[in-house]
Amino acid sequence: MPHPHQPLLSASRAARWFGIAVLACIPISSSGQQAPPTDLVIKNATVMTASHGTIEHGSVWVHAGKIAGVGATVDAPATAVAVDGTDMWLTPGIIDPHSHSALDSDVNEATSPVTPSMHMIDAFDNRDADLYRALAGGVTTELLLHGSANMIGGQAVVIKNKFGLDRDAMLFPNAPGSIKFASGENPKRVYGSRDQLPSTRMGNFEVMRLAFEDAKHYMAEWDAYDAKAKKGDKDAVAPKRDLKLEALADVLRGKLYVQIHCYRADEFLTEEAIAKEYGYKIRAFHHALEMYKVADKIAADQTAIATFADWWGYKDEAWDAIPWNAVMSMRKGVRVALKSDSDDHIRRLNQEAGKMIHYGGATEDEAIRMVTLNPAWIIGVDERTGSIDVGKDADLVLWNHDPLSTYARAQKVYIDGDLFFDASLPGLGTTHFNGVMHNGGGFGSDDEEDGQ
Amino acid sequence: MRSILIAATLLIAAPSLIVAAPAKTAAPAVIAITGGRLLTVSHGTIENGTLVIADGKIAAVGEAGKVKVPAGAQIVDARGLTIYPGLIDPETNFGLTEVSADQESNDLAERSDEIMPHMHVYDAFHSETELIPVARLNGITNAVVAPATDDSIAGQDIFIQLAGVDRDAMIMGRDVALAMNFGAEQRRRGGRGGKPEYPSTRMGLITQLRQTFLDVQDYVAKRDAAAKKDDKAFKRDLKLEALIPYLKGERPVVVGVYESYDVETIMALAAEFHLKVILNHVTHSQEVLDKIATYKVPVIVGSIYDAPRADERFDAVYTLPAELAKRGVKIAISSADAGGPASSHSSRNLPYAAGFAVAYGLPYDEALKSITLNVAEMFGFGDKLGSLDVGKMANVVIANGDPLDVRTDVKQVYIQGVAVPMVSRQTRLRDEYSK
Repeated sequence: MPHPHQPLLSASRAARWFGIAVLACIPISSSGQQAPPTDLVIKNATVMTASHGTIEHGSVWVHAGKIAGVGATVDAPATAVAVDGTDMWLTPGIIDPHSHSALDSDVNEATSPVTPSMHMIDAFDNRDADLYRALAGGVTTELLLHGSANMIGGQAVVIKNKFGLDRDAMLFPNAPGSIKFASGENPKRVYGSRDQLPSTRMGNFEVMRLAFEDAKHYMAEWDAYDAKAKKGDKDAVAPKRDLKLEALADVLRGKLYVQIHCYRADEFLTEEAIAKEYGYKIRAFHHALEMYKVADKIAADQTAIATFADWWGYKDEAWDAIPWNAVMSMRKGVRVALKSDSDDHIRRLNQEAGKMIHYGGATEDEAIRMVTLNPAWIIGVDERTGSIDVGKDADLVLWNHDPLSTYARAQKVYIDGDLFFDASLPGLGTTHFNGVMHNGGGFGSDDEEDGQ
Repeated sequence: MRSILIAATLLIAAPSLIVAAPAKTAAPAVIAITGGRLLTVSHGTIENGTLVIADGKIAAVGEAGKVKVPAGAQIVDARGLTIYPGLIDPETNFGLTEVSADQESNDLAERSDEIMPHMHVYDAFHSETELIPVARLNGITNAVVAPATDDSIAGQDIFIQLAGVDRDAMIMGRDVALAMNFGAEQRRRGGRGGKPEYPSTRMGLITQLRQTFLDVQDYVAKRDAAAKKDDKAFKRDLKLEALIPYLKGERPVVVGVYESYDVETIMALAAEFHLKVILNHVTHSQEVLDKIATYKVPVIVGSIYDAPRADERFDAVYTLPAELAKRGVKIAISSADAGGPASSHSSRNLPYAAGFAVAYGLPYDEALKSITLNVAEMFGFGDKLGSLDVGKMANVVIANGDPLDVRTDVKQVYIQGVAVPMVSRQTRLRDEYSK
């Protein structure tokens, strides 16, 4: 279902952002910025491709925003703008499959446990400072997800972190839709504390089944109407369109990637069973801290995980978290991504990947994939970004040090071949941003209890 | 190299070195760690060094060939490995929290009043916490345990060893420092829908602190007068008494403060009462770093991951350790996570915070000092801990590389010369599900 996008800036929203300054016509688009070069070549870097190993002294040619060549040598034209990558590392842009940045804490519509027609895009604040800080950490793509107060929270938005451009220019074009589900402690706490359903895990899962029964009934009503209308029945009355049920119907029709906040081993199994019962696939379990206990079973369902490197102990369902979870699950065949769920950790996901060498002995290739190609798959954009391959979007990060070490700083961050961050610039290091940043507040975590 | 590593690992894992309860062992064996790279912290790096441990202390340290390996010593072949003093985390809540969201497992701060110097962390410290073995596996051997930061004066810290048969064996120092805080967080603005209470402003917070310190001075005068008269009726006031050593400047006061103007305000009060200050955080004080240097007080930076203010450069806080060290300030770095509630679950990431400071300009040697010797000195354990020097406690870590790098694997931790079992609840889960 296409979502009717809001106007770019409503007057009231603009006024809140800029106060009186909005009258002074602060430019919020990239107008006045130089167009990126048609051809760009980054030379003599250690190129970590994420898909086909590392190329020492490698080069990458970018043409019209796409990767046109990668290897020991490339056929870039002489007119290409050259960037010296000597003693530097080049990786695909870092991809965070689980962020709550830039939402001014509008993360949970925690007024009902099933709110599938809530769209993250309607809360996305493209001027939030957390986007900038993530960009400076090499993050080029983010999946902005709902929180976990609701069993079915709403529909996510995928952004390219083109900080400084207007809202719509930051959306990942034609990215697949995702919907956020949750489970476990958060929904039962939020509604249980109000003496409402759900207050137990039994209630949690039954809320989902009830919702899908409603959706099936709704779909059947529409099917009956469509059949009548097709036969030319003039008396056929169309059912009322219901945004909530249409969104759930889209889940059942397989039109949305299902992203589920889920911690415990037993709950992965229940979620998979419900998905099978109602006929949808689960794209990824998020957090997934106990995946190492049942990884072989979940691998068979081809559900990926987006997990933390080493967070644990912050609540009961994070008590059995171990830092070997990612690598152990990967060895059992689960596709593993690391994610931030944090406005802090999003700035150094490359280090979180480096930890996987320590915790379980991931190879460098495996580690870098956990923050590039694998999260791209979870979002459904792995054909377009997430690795350094010809034809893909030129989302690239040049680092001054091995990005899997503690010491790496992103020097230049390119998105679609355009430079968005350059650490050598004075001030903020941004190339497209001017104006005022917003502090969205909060920590960008699922476990914030906003909306309670 | 790989075979050497494996050999070293096997040797380290030999059953004779596995001791279930370290501190129970009265006389640990003499151990010689040979062939490794020694990061002494106090006197540079020794590429091919020998470290001898006897009676729980460092008995010798130096270049191979210049140090005599005692006959009968257990030899730990550390070729290809790096040896350094145990890391010390200057601010944790170890033993005061288990599961952050589970209130029953938390004893973090007594919020009933703003002035709570008579809260002693040793009364709540749960030495069997699962958090300690988890941190220990990454080379943390000592820590300061402080109450949470809700109160202007939250209580008194302990200094611990991350191994021991019981609480008493693990607490190396009681009431080692006063935990004081100043800023927006301590204002009593009331909860959701709650009414504000005094002190609801910074004016209130400072006035209350000043009155408290004056009350202590008055109390001391009255107590001394009563003692002279042998007045048995004099009633002790535990709260005021708790502050006496700090007003005498005998022990440090750790002052948690973030904003530059708050630093200036609280340091003026500290000067008025001659407090021996250790500044903590100073996260948003970039404008007054020169002034901070003139205070001649040590500074704990934590969290290096705290967010800068909007419109500040992304690395405004990352560069703080380097900027302070450049100005001659003695710094420590703590493991605190940014933003969220204090979480000692992440204490194991302490070395990475120091490494991140290196990425943003702090000299490497200063970074290592900021999580070892500097912390020991700030809290009065400089003669016992923090460097590989003869006579110090043998809190020693062996790792397969640079201690500050996220990729590095700690192979063995010694606390008081005893090889600590390299297990935690998490390794047990790992092993159970790896079968």
